[in-house]
Amino acid sequence: MTQALGRVVATERKPNTPHEFHFWTALDSPVGIGTIVRVDGRRPVNGQIPRVYGIVTEGFSYTDLVTPLHDVMSHDGAPESAGFASAERAEIRLYSAAVLRQIPEEPLQPVPMGDVFLALEEDVNIALRMDGYLRDGSNTGIPIGVYRAGGTDATIFLDADFLVGPEAAHLNITGVSGLATKTSAVEWLLSSLFAHFPDSRGSIAAVCFNVKGPDLCFLDLPGKLDDGDRALYDKMGVPARPFENVHYYAPYAARGYALNTLRSNEALAHNVTPLTWGLREVLQYAEVLLNRDDIDAKADALIDFITRSVIDQSFTDPMLSRAHVVQSFADLEDWFRDVLRGLENGNKESWRTHHVATIRKVRNRLSNISVRCAGLVTDSGPVSDLPFGEFEDRATYVVDVANLEEDAQDLIFARVVSKLREHLERRDLGVKHVVVFVDELNKYAPGDGPDTYVRKMLLDIAERGRYLGLVLFSAQQFRSQGHKRVVGNSGTSVFGRMDPDELAAPGYAVLSPATRTKLATLEKGQLMIRHPHFTQPIFVRFPRPAVMAGRLGAEQFPQGGEVSLDVAVYRSLRARDSSVTLQAVEDAIGLHDEGDVLRALAVTLKERPSDVLGVFRARLPKRITQSVQARPQVAALRGGRGDDPYGAAR
Amino acid sequence: MIWSKRGISVSIDALRAIQSLLPDAEIVQSDAPADDSYGGAYGEAPCIAAAECVEGRTLRAHRVVGEPEVRFAGFLDGIQRARIECHRNGVPIVEGRVAAAIRVRVNRRFTTWGHRIPIVSRRLYMPLVFLQCEGRTEIDGFDIVDTSYDDRTKALVSRHPGALRAVAFERVGRDRDEAERNLAELWCSAGDAEPLFIDGGISGSGRVASASCAVGVIKSHQTLFADGDALEVVMSLRRGERSSVFAPPSTRRHSVISWYLRLRDPRGHDAMFGLVRIEASVGGDVASRANEISRWVLAEAAPLSLPDSRWDRMAYGIRDCEQFLRAIA
Repeated sequence: MTQALGRVVATERKPNTPHEFHFWTALDSPVGIGTIVRVDGRRPVNGQIPRVYGIVTEGFSYTDLVTPLHDVMSHDGAPESAGFASAERAEIRLYSAAVLRQIPEEPLQPVPMGDVFLALEEDVNIALRMDGYLRDGSNTGIPIGVYRAGGTDATIFLDADFLVGPEAAHLNITGVSGLATKTSAVEWLLSSLFAHFPDSRGSIAAVCFNVKGPDLCFLDLPGKLDDGDRALYDKMGVPARPFENVHYYAPYAARGYALNTLRSNEALAHNVTPLTWGLREVLQYAEVLLNRDDIDAKADALIDFITRSVIDQSFTDPMLSRAHVVQSFADLEDWFRDVLRGLENGNKESWRTHHVATIRKVRNRLSNISVRCAGLVTDSGPVSDLPFGEFEDRATYVVDVANLEEDAQDLIFARVVSKLREHLERRDLGVKHVVVFVDELNKYAPGDGPDTYVRKMLLDIAERGRYLGLVLFSAQQFRSQGHKRVVGNSGTSVFGRMDPDELAAPGYAVLSPATRTKLATLEKGQLMIRHPHFTQPIFVRFPRPAVMAGRLGAEQFPQGGEVSLDVAVYRSLRARDSSVTLQAVEDAIGLHDEGDVLRALAVTLKERPSDVLGVFRARLPKRITQSVQARPQVAALRGGRGDDPYGAAR
Repeated sequence: MIWSKRGISVSIDALRAIQSLLPDAEIVQSDAPADDSYGGAYGEAPCIAAAECVEGRTLRAHRVVGEPEVRFAGFLDGIQRARIECHRNGVPIVEGRVAAAIRVRVNRRFTTWGHRIPIVSRRLYMPLVFLQCEGRTEIDGFDIVDTSYDDRTKALVSRHPGALRAVAFERVGRDRDEAERNLAELWCSAGDAEPLFIDGGISGSGRVASASCAVGVIKSHQTLFADGDALEVVMSLRRGERSSVFAPPSTRRHSVISWYLRLRDPRGHDAMFGLVRIEASVGGDVASRANEISRWVLAEAAPLSLPDSRWDRMAYGIRDCEQFLRAIA
């Protein structure tokens, strides 16, 4: 039995209620904002001594001074003499605590007078209702951090059913940048989720969008941990090692053959795959790239017609000069040119109900896409995509969009998430649950501004994703500026150190001033958690993620520079087969066109053959060998005359 | 205790006890009447008494030599509360509460001495003769103190409600003195007792009056032990000055030495501002003892005991003790 550290007090001015109580402690007690305490009542209720669990939300300290002037007078106005006073004034530490749980839960009564104890680990489990989902045989706890107060170290668990679904789902993280809040917390939480997600709930994978810098570029490399971090990992039963199964995807740079990612160092190329899409992949999500002014009903109808009747099939029309098989943006451009020429030649204003102006506008907008999303969208190149249908359990798929234009980012996000959703609906993704991590939610789902395709999609995930197993982990600096329904649908909310301006937003009014102050001054590695099972926010400490930090990774593995086609192909192939040499690749490429080479490379990488170089050679188009023949000897028309070039006259 | 609608504290349990004995007693809901409403205060009248000077031949001012020195380890004080709970045909029935405690200083903060339970008592002070219930010593757990007779003259007290009230209140005060005395004797009985700051005189107990560790500090000056030039000396003491040591008359009390000490600058205040009288045991070099103890008392001038109206003379340790007793009694 531990010693009491305080006593419940109540006055007429500050009475206790069923949801709040007050207690005082000794001046040196370990109680602080966020400390969980237990109150043991004195009188039984229905034959049971009531126990109340609460979390400290506010603290007060005062002395018996009526006015500060008395203290000034006490020391003759000389602060330096205060240290020599014979005694300290009587002082109190008074705390207010919000009730977490009452036992018995009925009848719900005001908190009784009683002794206050520091909550032990088992008390924390009861107070936060974790005892309901940490039972042997049906344990769905996912460690999120360690609650520390006094001598108590208690692991705080989230309920997987309320984090990943189906009961509730989604997680939102808020915090200022650069203080190990958002990215670090997500990396840690994904490690914990992969380690503890119960087998009974099926398989799980994560798709992370790296939207800025090198944040998520080195998840498979070990990071620096100190003893304190390792102790936390041990305490929570999470292996302190980097992610084991990580796949990176990045589009090419707009000009060149290097991947447009900070993880382009040759030493790390083995699990980096190009992300390139063609016409079909893009046209499905044209709405993402075209604004509302572009897509009126007529344009929409034409795009629909192209998608249904033109793409990937032989298209013939009496007006056209030839049959078209449109498989790329280049083919589409040819098709448009032919259509417009036919209209001009026939002096017509419309074709198949589509007005010539609409056709010109759609041509202009669609042709522009491959320019705006250069590197991602190929005019005629190969398609390389995430392995939809073959997702692996506990695998992490990182899509690096950090260096892309906004349009390309939107396109990637929209298409990847839509594909995930489609496959999850069909139950053929390869895993049962997918966590999608999106940073900078303020940008993709702002509270104000136009209703974009991406925002609608995020809203859809937030509201319906949990039934599919599509879980959104989102992060932003200013929660108040995110879309209310997106952040509001997050069953679990995590807060790191907050900007005081953000804390002044109305949404934080439910927190006490002391809690808000603590949020504004949180140390690195501390978080405040809100979870459906917790009736009040809980402060926890989490370890540094066991992966290499983005900055450190960028220093140790500098970005590869722009390379020639030969070297780019060599690097890509060598990542699959270390026996491939640059000379062999150069010999294979020879005088082939760039497009042919890239197409062969993409096919090779997609097929993942054992004989990488052989397949690459085989996929290159055959070139006709031109033998150089000796120049035929031609007889002189007229015989020469000695050395005289002018032919001396006879 | 509850609060009545008029904001006056009423002891429900005490009233129940009284009414079990005297069902026709009338409850008093108003605050205690002013002292003069009964035709005269029950306290002592201000007076001047002669005292023998034991430091030199005449009483004069001495500057306290040396810096103030924090030496007091404990502070003893008591409180009393007396209130007429009800009356029967004008005969007052008083509930008296007394409490006393020693607060010791640990790391500049006060805590109750030895974490002992302080002395707290509640009694009913009743003139049993006038209430026709002689012989009763207890009702429902309340001890009864019979206030029918004057302690000194053993004569029946006047039936005048004011006289009866005065006797009851005086008995409450005596009970408080006794509680304080018991605690002081307990402290002084320790072999190597550290200095104890006692609120009030120490001459009431022989053991305390003879203990070198006990120092009594008297804030009220109902009786002044100086007259003529000596009185002028006392009244004109400046901050940090003390009077010569004198021996107060010890007709009914034990012998002690005493002197006046000015704790604060009296300029702009009345003559008694910051003036205390100190009592200590007889023995040793009185001048050096008076100087030493004065340094100890001067060290207690801060922090101020505000908002107490006696802050100019009250040590903070004594205020802490009073606050503590008010909280528990």
